[in-house]
Amino acid sequence: MPHNAPQSATRPNVAVLVSVGHHPLTARARRADQDARAVEMALSLNDIQASLIHAGCHDADSDAALCGYLGMGFEAIELIEQSSGADVAPALAEALRDAAPQLVLSGARAETGEGSGLLPYLLAESLGWPIVTGLAAVESIEHGVATVLQALPRGQRRRLRVRLPAIATVESSAPAARQSAFGPARRGELTCQERPGIDDEALAEWRVQPARKRPKRLKIVKATSARDRFKAAAAKAEGGGGQVLNDATPEQGAEAIFKLLREEGVLR
Amino acid sequence: MLDTLLPILLFSALALAAIGAVKRVRLWRQGRPSPVPLLKGLAAMPRRYLVDLHHVVARDKAMSNTHVATAGGFVLAAALAIIVHGFGLESAILAWVLLAATVCMFVGSLFVARRRRNPPARLSKGPWMRLPKSLIAFSLGVFLVTLPTAGVLPEDLGSWILALVLAGVVAWGLGELFFGMTWGGPMKHAFAGALHLAFHRRPERFNEGRSTGLKALNLDNPDAPLGVETPKDFTWNQLLGFDACVQCGRCEAACPAFAAGQRLNPKKLIQDMVVGMAGGSDAKYAGSPYPGIPVGEHAGEPHGPIVARQGTALVDAETLWSCTTCRACVEECPMMIEHVDAIVDMRRFLTLEHGNTPNKGAEVLDNLIATDNPGGFDPGSRMHWAADLNLPLMADKREAEVLLWLGDGVFDMRNQRTLRALVKVLRAADVDFAVLGNEERDSGDVARRLGDEATFQSLAKRNIATLAQYRFERIVTCDPHSFHILKNEYGELGGNYEVFHHSTYLNRLIEAGRLSFKAWKGTSVTYHDPCYLGRYNGEYEAPREVLKALGIEVKEMARSGYRSRCCGGGGGAPITDIPGKQRIPDMRMNDVRETGAELVAVGCPQCTAMLEGVVAEDRAEIKDIAELVADALVEDAAPGGAGKTRRNAEEVAL
Amino acid sequence: MSELVRRDPRKEWIARNRLHPQHLEVLAELGGGASPSEWLGPNGLMRRDPHAVGFIGPNGIKRIDRSGAQQAAAQSSSRQAQPEDTRRRVEIEAPAFLVAVVPDMPSGRLSSHDRDLLGLARQLADAEPERPGAVLAVIFGEHKETHFDEAGADRLLHLAGEGFAGYMPEARIAALQSVERELTPRHWLLPDSTLGGAELGRRLAVRLGERPATQVWQIEADAASEHGWRCMARGAAGSSDISRTLPRVALALAECAEPVSETRHAAQPVTLAQGLPEVLGRIEDLGAVAVDPAGVALAEAEFILSAGNGVKDWDAYHHAAQVLGATEGASRVAVDDGFMARDRQVGATGTWVTARVYVAVGISGAIQHLQGIQGCDKVVAINLDGGCDMIKRADLAVIGDAGAILAALVAQVERYREQQRENRDAA
Repeated sequence: MPHNAPQSATRPNVAVLVSVGHHPLTARARRADQDARAVEMALSLNDIQASLIHAGCHDADSDAALCGYLGMGFEAIELIEQSSGADVAPALAEALRDAAPQLVLSGARAETGEGSGLLPYLLAESLGWPIVTGLAAVESIEHGVATVLQALPRGQRRRLRVRLPAIATVESSAPAARQSAFGPARRGELTCQERPGIDDEALAEWRVQPARKRPKRLKIVKATSARDRFKAAAAKAEGGGGQVLNDATPEQGAEAIFKLLREEGVLR
Repeated sequence: MLDTLLPILLFSALALAAIGAVKRVRLWRQGRPSPVPLLKGLAAMPRRYLVDLHHVVARDKAMSNTHVATAGGFVLAAALAIIVHGFGLESAILAWVLLAATVCMFVGSLFVARRRRNPPARLSKGPWMRLPKSLIAFSLGVFLVTLPTAGVLPEDLGSWILALVLAGVVAWGLGELFFGMTWGGPMKHAFAGALHLAFHRRPERFNEGRSTGLKALNLDNPDAPLGVETPKDFTWNQLLGFDACVQCGRCEAACPAFAAGQRLNPKKLIQDMVVGMAGGSDAKYAGSPYPGIPVGEHAGEPHGPIVARQGTALVDAETLWSCTTCRACVEECPMMIEHVDAIVDMRRFLTLEHGNTPNKGAEVLDNLIATDNPGGFDPGSRMHWAADLNLPLMADKREAEVLLWLGDGVFDMRNQRTLRALVKVLRAADVDFAVLGNEERDSGDVARRLGDEATFQSLAKRNIATLAQYRFERIVTCDPHSFHILKNEYGELGGNYEVFHHSTYLNRLIEAGRLSFKAWKGTSVTYHDPCYLGRYNGEYEAPREVLKALGIEVKEMARSGYRSRCCGGGGGAPITDIPGKQRIPDMRMNDVRETGAELVAVGCPQCTAMLEGVVAEDRAEIKDIAELVADALVEDAAPGGAGKTRRNAEEVAL
Repeated sequence: MSELVRRDPRKEWIARNRLHPQHLEVLAELGGGASPSEWLGPNGLMRRDPHAVGFIGPNGIKRIDRSGAQQAAAQSSSRQAQPEDTRRRVEIEAPAFLVAVVPDMPSGRLSSHDRDLLGLARQLADAEPERPGAVLAVIFGEHKETHFDEAGADRLLHLAGEGFAGYMPEARIAALQSVERELTPRHWLLPDSTLGGAELGRRLAVRLGERPATQVWQIEADAASEHGWRCMARGAAGSSDISRTLPRVALALAECAEPVSETRHAAQPVTLAQGLPEVLGRIEDLGAVAVDPAGVALAEAEFILSAGNGVKDWDAYHHAAQVLGATEGASRVAVDDGFMARDRQVGATGTWVTARVYVAVGISGAIQHLQGIQGCDKVVAINLDGGCDMIKRADLAVIGDAGAILAALVAQVERYREQQRENRDAA
């Protein structure tokens, strides 16, 4: 567990905010996927010291889930105890101000509660730090500047340079988290600290229910003629009617494929 | 002159052997404690050797006879030589017996020598090549020095030069056979092997017994080690067992992973453990290496890690993850070494401490933790496959004669066909059965073989708690892995059940006349023994009986029964997916092709999936026994009523 | 020309009377001149003479194509020439309030998500017909979109300038703050998308001190709420629905509303009175990083060249993937046989892919494989066996030897690259 070695002044401090996730099918408490990826990113950095911070309840279920992060190779998680339904942003901001890390990593959004993904932005705003999103990798941290790769859709990447201290969020485009091992998870500790919490009043006014399946958008056909309406109603879904080149020469086949690739714009 | 030399030679060899023995024992004692009944074990040893061990050795008749002659001759000759020459007991009768023993040993040694002239690839070379010469030297030397004692030759025949030469030959023999026995020569197997038999970690295996379930880790004690990190983390009798290896390579010849070119050779693995126990490198190893890994690059020590997090140590992780836990090596081992236990022990450390289960391993374990099945399916959708079958649920019935354990095959469309067939047969036989439905979880087999003892115990304990709510006489399952776990591995956690594999249960139904069949009109059939049914639980006959009852004549594969080749699907091997030169199921389907059979009967969803995954032009069809039985059923017009009356009639007749 | 229908009862009478000597002439006249097969009936309905239409099909049988495709050339009637733009033109001169929308504009155009969002904005703006609001679209940087009017924007604020090129969230937020100060929209709507809207919206909300509703997928009027609306938002990673009052800032999911289709709007340009503030950015965009297509995760790749059992020359295949700039995929068999790495396996047991173009070379299409490519837009199959399942799934299938076809394709692409290079050099 090289990342929890004794304090050294030169190595930048990276804090990872971790939350209690829940499994999409069984709703069992687990390490949250995106947060685990953030932890993985911190573990993959050389010459830093990483620490884990969690703000939330202190009960058996969530403790077991937090052990999932310890099992990745940490000796402790700093647990800022908050009541359930509390707004953890102020307490976390205060804790980060005290700890003064160079870089704060977190998942983009929580898997429970509102899950709005707003927390990192709130922390950035209240601490006055810049925030970057969708990290794919941290390339370097030196001289108060971090060079990072941001993940764009379709596997594309963008290089950013951000002034530290900063907050960065990690989405599912970041490398997958390593396996959580039972041994380290059992040995790890939760170091609790008390900070006053603020009740989230708005939350109480909301009605929360299990997600309804969203209706599939109907294809509305504004047809003027009976034939068009009939065609729209009777038309099969796309596909099934692909073009088949049966006795083409390789050149003709290649030509057809080439045309399709150009039309789709995938040839660069 | 020999009269003075021989006792000195004998007793110094014995003394050195004794010192070596102490050193050897101290090597073993580095391991963790494991209580064994010392005296009882020693007392049971001769029987274990003569009966159980020779039962395995005798699979190779020529070698068995050779060993009896050589070893028997040696033991007798050594004992008599000490009496006759060591203590100088001048008894012509004893001398004659001694002569006979040496002749016997000499003849055996000649056979050993003949085998060493063109040794098969599985045999280790190196020091083992000189063993027949040493045996001949000992037998010949003792024979010659005994001739005067027996009165065949005069006492003072020949010059002192001849005496010295004779003494030298005897010294060579003594050096190999007494000194080498405890100082690490080939004869070490006799010393360590005898003690290994006495203090075996699975004494249940002897006297026709069977002990195949993995032993549980103690997870309640936070200081107890999680698996094996260093050689000294094995229990002392495991280390003793490794030391007993005679490097005959029978395990290597049986190992499917080795044959597929994956980086595993059970013999080399055991030798590596011996290297680790004593400290040093594997450069002196003289057998076949792990495929693709040259000898001499790995080294270890008793306190050093077996698998390094980075770089190399004693063994590469890939080697451990190649194992399919098919137990073919254990079945073949004449020294009764427990390879699979050792591999799983080391895997446990890799998974529980390193968190390093390769490829899909981590994902599967996460799924097992979150959804209680390895595929990550919604546990609430367990019974979707049977929506139309109206299966009776234990939760409703509370009580049934048979609890049908479905296994994770419920999520697999291929296995659902098997399950449907089994349900059809059970209904035709009018069996009172029920299923757990969504209350069932994965049995924990995959988690345990992947080394995740924590997840296994969590699943097992919850399953045991579920089963405890209901009353049933027996469990029937069509998955040999669940069968083995429920039958042999839940007991240690408090769940003891009567468990049947479906082939056994179907056989019982057939014997009781509760099923009737149409005549078999199909093609030629062979049968593939699942490891977890055959080698793990000794059930070779019932599936064949069922097939016979269907009118099928089984064309046996060359490797069948206890020698059946694994399909490659056990031990999480498809999940860890270690690359090799070829795939294990492909080799198995080649075995099938050799029989010319057009259909393979199987009894395991894993085997079905692995064998059906083989892409070949003329691949044989693969069907579960339950499917074959269901296809052959004579359907009654009114299944319930007619079946019942027939059954009642038979009961009356009985 | 007047659209009034002028009727001549005599001519109509002649047109009905097939025996009348002038019948055909009158018919031709009524039918708009060209075709005597249609004419205006007495009630203003078009009448058709099925005997006068159609054409002789290839088998010598008369066919009538009612789509008009076959007769399009013959029909030159001004009345039927083009589908008329029937959309109502809406101009809102003095809006009671503004609904600001900041669309993503991927590659300079409104995405369907953006259009849905504008549709949602219209719901908010048009709720009270007597006090209509106006939808303000705020666009950054260069764009190619010309149909803001059809998408439902009443006002268009185009914030041009170099400062918004690339990843400039700080500059954009500062600009949006200026909009807030000057125009003070009643609602801010942004797409909750990975293309930038999600990030911008959260930044904006936090900067404005508003608690936004995120992942909104439905709104409904609710008099009790502050702005008269409630919204339904996804929470807890999509596993719960939160019903709450609609706050000022809302980030909405795709298909949150129907896009505008029946009205056209002014899309009248507006400007900010004050210039944009200078922002000292703490995030610097160093530009896109060249990504090796081979290294792109399969699940993310947009162009996959996937190999199966039918590939014999693996070097040629890897070369083709490199030339095409495609990410490599493989069927299970190719992986099992050791030709491809396990992480390249496509299918239900491997990776589920979402490529825009998926080229399957020598893959027959096991069911697990076809499941894994469900999310692909266009599937191209190259296979020897014309009857395999992959061909049935493919949008374009070429039957033949995979090696030869790949080689021809590589040659073609190389020629194309060469041409492009020449063109570039010439220019």
